[in-house]
Amino acid sequence: MRSRHLARSLGLLLVFLLCSCQSLQADELESLMGGFDDEASSGSDNELEELLGGFSEEESEQQEVLPGSDPFLPQWLTLQGSLSLQSTINFAHSAPDPGQPDYRGLSMFRGHGELIAEASFSKWKARIGGTAFYDAAYQLNGQRDLYTDKYLSEYEDELELNEAYLKGSLSDNIDLKLGRQIVVWGKSDNLRVTDILNPLDRRYPGMLDIRYQRLPVTMTRLDYFWDSWNINAMLIHEPRFDKLTRYNGEFFPGTKPAPRLENPDWDWDNQQAGVALNGIFSGWDLSFYAASVFQERAHLEIDPAGTPYRTRDRATMVGTAGNIVLGSWLIKGEAAYWDGLKYSNVADEKSRFDVLAGVEYMGFSDTTIAFEIANRRILDHDPLLKNLPDGQREDWTQYALRFVRDFMNDTLHLTGIVSSFGLLGAEGGFERFQLDYDISDNITVMGGVVFYESGDYPGFQDIGSNDRLLFELEYRF
Amino acid sequence: MKTMKPRFYHTIAILFLLFSFTTAGAAPDGRWIMEQVDERDDGDNMEVDSEMILIDKNGNERRREMKVFSKDKGKDTLKLSVFLAPADVRDTGLLTHDYYSGDKDDDQWLYLPDLRKTKRIATSDKSSSFMGSDFSYADITRRVLDEWNYKLLKESDVDGHKVWLVEAVPISKEVENRYGFKKSILFVRQDIFMEIRAIHVLQDGNKVKYMEVKKLEEIDGIWVATEKWMKTTKNKKSLHNTKLLWNNVKFNQDLDETFFSVRQLEKGL
Repeated sequence: MRSRHLARSLGLLLVFLLCSCQSLQADELESLMGGFDDEASSGSDNELEELLGGFSEEESEQQEVLPGSDPFLPQWLTLQGSLSLQSTINFAHSAPDPGQPDYRGLSMFRGHGELIAEASFSKWKARIGGTAFYDAAYQLNGQRDLYTDKYLSEYEDELELNEAYLKGSLSDNIDLKLGRQIVVWGKSDNLRVTDILNPLDRRYPGMLDIRYQRLPVTMTRLDYFWDSWNINAMLIHEPRFDKLTRYNGEFFPGTKPAPRLENPDWDWDNQQAGVALNGIFSGWDLSFYAASVFQERAHLEIDPAGTPYRTRDRATMVGTAGNIVLGSWLIKGEAAYWDGLKYSNVADEKSRFDVLAGVEYMGFSDTTIAFEIANRRILDHDPLLKNLPDGQREDWTQYALRFVRDFMNDTLHLTGIVSSFGLLGAEGGFERFQLDYDISDNITVMGGVVFYESGDYPGFQDIGSNDRLLFELEYRF
Repeated sequence: MKTMKPRFYHTIAILFLLFSFTTAGAAPDGRWIMEQVDERDDGDNMEVDSEMILIDKNGNERRREMKVFSKDKGKDTLKLSVFLAPADVRDTGLLTHDYYSGDKDDDQWLYLPDLRKTKRIATSDKSSSFMGSDFSYADITRRVLDEWNYKLLKESDVDGHKVWLVEAVPISKEVENRYGFKKSILFVRQDIFMEIRAIHVLQDGNKVKYMEVKKLEEIDGIWVATEKWMKTTKNKKSLHNTKLLWNNVKFNQDLDETFFSVRQLEKGL
């Protein structure tokens, strides 16, 4: 009797649970369906009517999808560019010695513009672009007279031809690109091991927008494609090198100007060359590189009059790079072997082996976290290389951590970059944090801060007092 | 006493059957419906001008214009999207090799014109927003059928068309994390086997996304959602909306497989 009672109770409980389940399920469903804009799909339940009352009943309007071209220009021509106001304020410098510039406070107040014209004819495309800036900070902070003309010519204003090229296809398998251009080798985003073809603008360590950091170089590039492979060969006509910090500026490491620099002329004997073989496969990529280029780092020579000057010799590089996707991880690796490197303190040429490993995690929504580590080792290192002006240890290890997260449907972007020679900036480095907010489709405002760490790495010896706040307002069209 | 026991179980069985019928009626099961959706002809060698209008809760609008190309490769889909506007994303390109099989992650490359560089993207996580819109990568790529358990909830009407409401629940926590959906309720039109509405319950606290096809056109015999809205809500309050418009939809274009390559991605349009 008791067991029958128990069975009946259990049965009723089961029926009750099933009904409750169904009822809960129905309630949840109705509640979810209340999110649509109209009433058609969701039955006539009173509770649902109430929920629907809170929503708009916006109807679809006929909206024309406009092609992205300007109605005032011919179809084959597009213009794009930007106007921006960039400013930095230094907050960690101490008072200067008499007669020296005061780096405290406003250190940049720059109007910057970029204009790019692009023309398309059938399968060919031509592009020409230029940038210009004027920095009023030197006038505004009353320090202009304390800077040298050479410094001001680099930092106060600039008019520059950027990319200017013609590109197209010669056949189904062959592409040609001729002119001033940017070619990116390697897989890493933060540290350069095989990405050696374009020089960088290094006048503002850790500060410059990535899109202005690589400097285009005049070259002829041919690409041949077959299956998953392509080979690209380039003849680099223009010897162009990094833009470096200048004596008299806050980032310059020395107390007197560097000896004069004699760069290779732009002539037939000074042509540089590079070749790359790239394979792109499902889940992984692989590249091999070889190049004969002028060294980015100049070394000292003595002219017949006994005056020291800086110059560059040719060196060769062979390298490889690859990446592989594992779930939400992107694993990267690069290696480069340099031969024929010249230094100031030793007569014989040296070889160097550079290696990089990196990971990028994309498993969090709207977030990318990347970590890279690179080691550069001079083979058969001579202790004399540690002395200035070379200042080169047998090996340097560099770390970079980058964090990017988008908020508010991609209107707010947080970026953090930590770049360090040695662990925790022990041998020099910087940390940069910035927030970019898109006021509209065309206008962005940015605020950020950069902290610098002094260390033994060449160029970073006295960089630590350059901490600064960054601001930028940009209009792009 | 001996007769009571079978009668009791009969009652339970009838109630259970009643419960089942009220839930699913005599209609086909959810899995079958979604198989039909999956097998629906959605066209091949497609070219389209697309626009996304992103609307925040204050009504402020941002627009993204792009050209989209897609091609079937067996059951896989190749897709190339090139952004035309606004200026800060112009010429950005996204190349996707969307594999039908769930055993293999999609291949995806992003061309970033500011860096003059093509980056490979780890695509395992599909919950991230697609270019700031309410559509996530999960919404714009094909779902792997076998990664979801389907259940037919009920039949209903939308704009005078009969629909099935099918609940899709991830088969594992890993799938849930990857898509970012705790579950979805999909409204499938019975006459054309097409999803015309969807409710996605997100992992991200109390957020629910509503997708509605606002405009459906038959182009070259293929039903195409030429206007889709996606709305993100939290605690039933609208946070953000996206209208996705397709114009100039053309099928059977002369698109070779080699078009869907990193070479083309870097060339742009």
